Amino acid sequence: MPNVDVLRMTISELSPKIQNKEISPLEATEAALTEAARLQPTLNSFITLMYESAMEQARESEQALVRGEYRGPLHGVPIGLKDNLATAGVTTTVGSKVLANYVPEEDAEVVVRCRNAGAIIIGKENLEEFAAGATSNNPHYGPVHNPWGLDHVPGGSSGGGGANVAAGITFASLGTDLGGSVRLPGTFCGVVGLKQTYGRVSQRGLMVTSFNGDHIGPMTRSVADSALMLQVLAGNDPLDPSTVPVAVPDYSSFIGKGIKGLKMGVPSNHFFDMLDSDVETAVRASIASLEELGADLQDVNLPTMEYIGAMRISAMADGVVTHEEFLKNHRGDYGPDVFYRTIPGQFVLGRDYSKSLKVQRLIQEEYLRVMQQVDFLVTPTAPVPAPRIDATYIDINGENHRVRGAGSGFISRNTSPLNAVGLPAISVPCGTNRAGLPIGVQFISGPFNEGLLFQVADSYEKVSPSQGLCPLVSVGQ
Amino acid sequence: MSISNETLKAMIRDYNGVELSDEELSLVRPELDIYFTELEKLEFLDLSDSFSGRLMQLPDGSQ
Repeated sequence: MPNVDVLRMTISELSPKIQNKEISPLEATEAALTEAARLQPTLNSFITLMYESAMEQARESEQALVRGEYRGPLHGVPIGLKDNLATAGVTTTVGSKVLANYVPEEDAEVVVRCRNAGAIIIGKENLEEFAAGATSNNPHYGPVHNPWGLDHVPGGSSGGGGANVAAGITFASLGTDLGGSVRLPGTFCGVVGLKQTYGRVSQRGLMVTSFNGDHIGPMTRSVADSALMLQVLAGNDPLDPSTVPVAVPDYSSFIGKGIKGLKMGVPSNHFFDMLDSDVETAVRASIASLEELGADLQDVNLPTMEYIGAMRISAMADGVVTHEEFLKNHRGDYGPDVFYRTIPGQFVLGRDYSKSLKVQRLIQEEYLRVMQQVDFLVTPTAPVPAPRIDATYIDINGENHRVRGAGSGFISRNTSPLNAVGLPAISVPCGTNRAGLPIGVQFISGPFNEGLLFQVADSYEKVSPSQGLCPLVSVGQ
Repeated sequence: MSISNETLKAMIRDYNGVELSDEELSLVRPELDIYFTELEKLEFLDLSDSFSGRLMQLPDGSQ
């Protein structure tokens, strides 16, 4: 029997025990792999389980400890990778049939950094086809199921990672976030999802991605673990021109600092306009808790958010260019949601693309002005809790909104603006709805100020009603 | 703004020869509707003061 108690820990709890040799990397890895295999028929959260290479890594990790070579807090910690991150010698499908047999020759930069930090990679996680959507309802590898309600989506596109972290299979999973694809699985699966500043983490080895606004970020079971993960991932990559050579602080030093006197901005437009009532109640309660912790509440207005939908225009054009070669030769291998959503990019005129980029600049400037008035912003992460897997539409205030495919985008309306402006944002669990599905609150800070984001998120996490809650399906159950 | 089905089909055909039926076009339309809706909103937005971002920067310590 695997020691599932190990899997219920956070990285912050596990790593000292590995360092002190109370728990071995082999024990943790074997437990993670056993539970991953046991829960795979229920959650469908992996595309590839890497049993042999993970156990080999764990043995090496154990030997390194015996030699006195401790590599840091990720040493011997089992993690998962979204299957659009290149892994040398391991199939990387991007959730597609088109790339079902593609085997990269090199690891993505983030994978190299995780391996060097001692993390054990146990598998490649299921996702939306080509990471293009918010449900992880994959037409080729099957839908990922939410451990809090198996008939519900885990969010997307990094749904396998969200499900795995929530269920206790992985201690952290790396996802990618082009419009909320780390933060949405964070909120729907009741875990912490981070999208750091654009340029903070290398994207090299992130496959079939957009030209504008993608990010690789971690999902974890605590804010402190998110800080540990970003510590490993962050830093300039000379081979990725999107990264910025700015200093990387000690993120863990922001944990436990409190938020007394910090200025908390609550947007008076867009983010609270179209919400499920349970989401609004939970997030308003979070704001009240933050005030009790000492934050100074200020209403802020973001008038240019009226035009945020224009970002869709450039995304449509980018999407069709990204897929051009694949569509030419593999049309029949596409699922309908991605195919019919991608094709319309063909119609975007150059002048409209240019306008879209100008609007993006206006919105960026407005956010930067606002972030000079307040230290952080608070919003709901998603307007709704996890939709059902079979839902085509969701109803908010009598209006139907598409969940997936052409015309969708409602679910990511609060997350995608931060991809457009590049600011860091983190989703933290803030309770559940009446059906017991998780809800998330999103914190946003100024550029390259992830430390403050961790400071705020950690303070809130300690008083969140999600503390101690566990999904229906998890390790040992 | 609206585009006829025949025009749409011709434009999609130009895109690597992809042929779509009328039924398939109805699946594409919602995405186009978003495009046109967002464009309409931009009609009276003054973008003349929107400048491009800084693309290059000196490494730390350089002059």
